[in-house]
Amino acid sequence: MRDVLLRFVRLLRRRGMSVSPAETMDALAAVAAAGVEREVLREALATTLVKDEHDRPLFDACFEIVFPLVRGDESRGARRKRGQPGQTSSSQGEPGPSRQGRRGEHSGSGPGASSPPGPGEPPEPREGQERAQRSLGASAPRWSEAVRDLRRAVPQATALEQGGAATQVTSARARKAALLGMPFAGMTASDVAEARDVAAALGARLRGRLARRERLARRGRLDLRRTLRAATGTGGVPLRLRRRARCPGRPDLVALCDLSGSVAAASELLLCLLAAAHDWFRRATTFAFVDRLCPVSVEHGHVVPAGSLDLHARSDFGRVLADFWPAFAGVLGSRTLLLVLGDARNNRRPPRRDLWQAIRARTGRIVWLVPEPRPRWNTGDSVLGLYAPACDAVVECLDLAALASAVRRAL
Amino acid sequence: MEITRETVREGLRAARYITTPRVETALFLTLVLEKPLLAEGPAGAGKTELGKVLAELLHTDLLRLQCYEGLDESRALFEWNYQKQLLRIQAERAAGHGWAETAHDVFSREFLLERPLLKAITAPRKVVLLVDEIDKADPEFEAFLLEVLSDFQVSIPELGTLTATHRPVVVLTSNRTRELGEALLRRCLHLWVDFPGPEKEAEIVALKVPGIDEQLATQVARFMASLRKLELRKVPSIAETLDWARGLCALGIATLDAATVRQTLSLLLKHEDDRRAVDAKVTTLLGSSAGR
Repeated sequence: MRDVLLRFVRLLRRRGMSVSPAETMDALAAVAAAGVEREVLREALATTLVKDEHDRPLFDACFEIVFPLVRGDESRGARRKRGQPGQTSSSQGEPGPSRQGRRGEHSGSGPGASSPPGPGEPPEPREGQERAQRSLGASAPRWSEAVRDLRRAVPQATALEQGGAATQVTSARARKAALLGMPFAGMTASDVAEARDVAAALGARLRGRLARRERLARRGRLDLRRTLRAATGTGGVPLRLRRRARCPGRPDLVALCDLSGSVAAASELLLCLLAAAHDWFRRATTFAFVDRLCPVSVEHGHVVPAGSLDLHARSDFGRVLADFWPAFAGVLGSRTLLLVLGDARNNRRPPRRDLWQAIRARTGRIVWLVPEPRPRWNTGDSVLGLYAPACDAVVECLDLAALASAVRRAL
Repeated sequence: MEITRETVREGLRAARYITTPRVETALFLTLVLEKPLLAEGPAGAGKTELGKVLAELLHTDLLRLQCYEGLDESRALFEWNYQKQLLRIQAERAAGHGWAETAHDVFSREFLLERPLLKAITAPRKVVLLVDEIDKADPEFEAFLLEVLSDFQVSIPELGTLTATHRPVVVLTSNRTRELGEALLRRCLHLWVDFPGPEKEAEIVALKVPGIDEQLATQVARFMASLRKLELRKVPSIAETLDWARGLCALGIATLDAATVRQTLSLLLKHEDDRRAVDAKVTTLLGSSAGR
């Protein structure tokens, strides 16, 4: 049994799940405690090995490979749990003809499948069997029966494991890493949808980090009012000193995001990221634009514009500035961080640099995030070069990881 | 009590907690392997209830530690009772005692305010420790918690090391508002608690709302199942299902129809946008839930 479990763990690792030795030992202990009835075995292993629910389908797929329903088992399994047969048939039907063929071949080549294990088979480690038998007590016969089933399954499983690389299921961790490093330009709509969750998680982490930084910054001068207030609880003796934060307060955030086709994915993810962190800021205002400006909010990970926004228009940054300046100049101040995401491709329309200078004069900090590779900046209709000198930083962000770190550094 | 899967199942039934084999297995393993159990899942799916049910199953006390941002050791583990210490110091001074004996007195168990973690460690019998919404606490606290959970002992500089005589059963819950550290995940058993299927939910309603018509319970559960498939700002939890069922009972309603659902929707949905969105779809929702 131990060998089969180790094989199972190895298979999970090969598919990208991280399973530590400690977790493997937990799994062995869990199986010894819970027994090997198929569904209980499945849950016992899942409880100890699957630490992220997104990995559950991958786990189930691997479970079906290493612990397949063997024929004799099928009727028993069906009796025990009614949902069972449907489950197996669906898992057999899912991954395509090659795998099904291989499985068929093996069970077909087998009168061996129902005969006792061949002489070449390694003997089951005795101490594991004994320990498990002890813990199982009266149900010992069932145990040995199950071991026989498992052993029968081994050759089948080996073949499937080797061919299994074709299975499409990847672990949640691997998928997340892939999304973080995926260039915005190459993202499909479904990638963006998945990446929204990742962006929101990044935003939540950012928010936690900012809040912590603020707490730790309370090391400055004595805050007399709060100290005296706390001292009333201890009879006027100031047992605990309260201190003031060193740097004043939280910044205001203003974000301007270009939603036109070429950079839409990046903008959407930035908005998701900021939405998760927005309540930390003293005030957070987010705008999207193509050729007109529109205040937006994010709900359920979807960008919701407050007015109408023509996504197919040609982007016009000058006109957006002309919209922004008279109406929203009030939100800018010395404590404002202005984040702009866009490629500054203005379609040869007037860039209105004068307005940009006016905004610069009122704003504490301006960071421009460019989701375009640096060599392409200022080529064609890009007017980034006109705006860049007024910015505190212009950062190239080609993927989600770069975007998140740029926002972190900007704060 | 010897712990087997059967006793766990019986215990859960006795505690009136309706559940799946998945949850049963996880609880059984938590008790047998003596490892912390991390329950994750949507809000209101019954995670916190797990701790309470475990306490009832073991006939023991439940200690609850509610996590929040900025939770620190003094709130979770222990704190000296400054006020009391101060009083003692003043009294001793009036009686003319020296500092040496005062100091000895003042830093004793009597002046220690035990918070849930320390209470769980010093408890005279096995207790259930419920660490609720661990995802709300800061990563530092998580690391600190790991240290306590790994060997169940705490060092207090003035008192020495306190070790648990009975290892508490630990249940952690999380809504996944942030990702937990790998180290914590590695040390815990993991359980995903999801909303129950319509059959289970009907059972729960029938059990928790005495006097409800069986048919109405089924209808309610089916409606909830299709409601949860919609994209809502706040998905209604089991508690809300029960509130609704109780409300329907109080109104003396025997079968659900579109009009009654519309009237009582405010029991289920807490956001005006949600209410408006569902209001428009009530008939289809009722239809789809009746059809299955």
